[in-house]
Amino acid sequence: MAALETIARPRRERIAHHARVVRVTAAAEFKLKYSGSALGYVWSVVKPLGLFAMLYVVFGRFMRLGNFPHYPVYLLVGIVFWTYFGDASTLSMYSLVNRGGLISKLAFPRLIVPLSVSTTTAITLLINLGVVGLFLAANRIVPRVEWLLLIPLLLYLVVVTLGVGMILAPLFVRLRDVSQVWELVLQLMFYASPIIYPVSFLPSWWKPIAFLSPFVQIIQDARWAILPTSTPIDTPTSIYGGPWGELVPLAVAVLIVGGGYLFFRREAPYVAERL
Amino acid sequence: MATAVVLDGISKSFRIPHEHRNTVKEHFLHPLKKVDYEENVVLQNVSFTVDEGEFFGVLGPNGTGKSTLLKIIAGIYQPDAGTVRIKGLLSPFLELGVGFNGELTARDNIRINGTLLGLTKRQLDARFDAIVEFSELERFVDQKLKNFSSGMQVRLAYSIAIQVDFDILLLDEVLAVGDQAFQEKCVATFDRLRAEGKTILLVSHDMNAITTSCDRAALVYGGSIAAIGNPQDVVETYLDLTHAGAPVAAT
Repeated sequence: MAALETIARPRRERIAHHARVVRVTAAAEFKLKYSGSALGYVWSVVKPLGLFAMLYVVFGRFMRLGNFPHYPVYLLVGIVFWTYFGDASTLSMYSLVNRGGLISKLAFPRLIVPLSVSTTTAITLLINLGVVGLFLAANRIVPRVEWLLLIPLLLYLVVVTLGVGMILAPLFVRLRDVSQVWELVLQLMFYASPIIYPVSFLPSWWKPIAFLSPFVQIIQDARWAILPTSTPIDTPTSIYGGPWGELVPLAVAVLIVGGGYLFFRREAPYVAERL
Repeated sequence: MATAVVLDGISKSFRIPHEHRNTVKEHFLHPLKKVDYEENVVLQNVSFTVDEGEFFGVLGPNGTGKSTLLKIIAGIYQPDAGTVRIKGLLSPFLELGVGFNGELTARDNIRINGTLLGLTKRQLDARFDAIVEFSELERFVDQKLKNFSSGMQVRLAYSIAIQVDFDILLLDEVLAVGDQAFQEKCVATFDRLRAEGKTILLVSHDMNAITTSCDRAALVYGGSIAAIGNPQDVVETYLDLTHAGAPVAAT
């Protein structure tokens, strides 16, 4: 195997450099996303709110799915989390190909590309969470200690989504069909996950399958942390049973992130020549 | 004299499928038909060293692996065999203005490009004025880059690149940019870099540039080094080879 030996900068300096690159490119991407548009990043709030309004009217009112307290908040939290997952995974998938010019002209760790995309999308997520905060205030829901749980939950969401992105991005470099497949998967996942409806609506045979998705657990836990009077909820423990049940979605997450990282690391040196 | 770059037995080939299958459908339609790959050998057992402080030119016709060689040295491509040893800080870019974005202002682009090339925030703040002054684009700093002429963009890119700290600079065909006055400025900075003892690897098929500015040169021809040494001799070998009508196939 070929080796590249360099006496370059010390490790600490290199990591600091890479962190700067992530920050600067993420900021630039955020700026670019809405350059030339009059409303700018207001759009990042309007889109999930529009989806929320439509789903609330159709499913909450017409179909009366929301016969429990705080359904609007419940729904909005689901949409905001889902929007992050969908946007970040899709943008990561395209990221290596979109940055082809940079990748073929500059040597830098390829992981920076999906990382900066995730960071940009995470900024949008935080803005959207601000809107959730306004909803909570309007519903006179008082802050609780449990809200602090949102911090690890959000980190968990970002890391799992990055894991998915690390798998999708090199795959898309190899095979362009991946984008079509992923679009379909996202649509199916949207309705198969308890976003519009509570987990209790799911038939018992589907619950063990649904909870294999770390996203389902994240959204469930986030709602439990935010809302004071939640209906009794299903947890991985109640579904898979035993003290180990809680670990099932976590194991899937570790598999996605670990596998994604190893896959990305294997593919990264050859991305430039395959573009 | 110490060596800056050591290439030892570098080989690289690209597998090029005869018919690119990029969709699943194509795989499904002919699942049994194996994809024919053409093994395109671009570099074969290339070895040479560049000394510290040397201005080294790499010459050769199109499609003979000059750029691939440079990309392998930069770490953008992975060689199939052989080792690259670099002593010193390598400039990570091959082209000026990587990461430039027309929708952003010159100011933003200086920050992004400068950061990509390794400048810290403090260094950027300190050198920002010098970059803008050298590029002579003071009046346009807050304009979007897409409104710049291509010459202005290159001037800006060049002005950033020379503010980056490096020991070894890799350049792929960049000298033919800018107007007369700016060209002279570039030559002056090359002289300065040489005086500072920097190593420069220049890939070009501009024989004039190679003979006037390089200390030593190598001719890449058909995937291997056909000549190395005095730039004048290397250029003559190049002319002999091309005028002899030898095929320039890279296989």
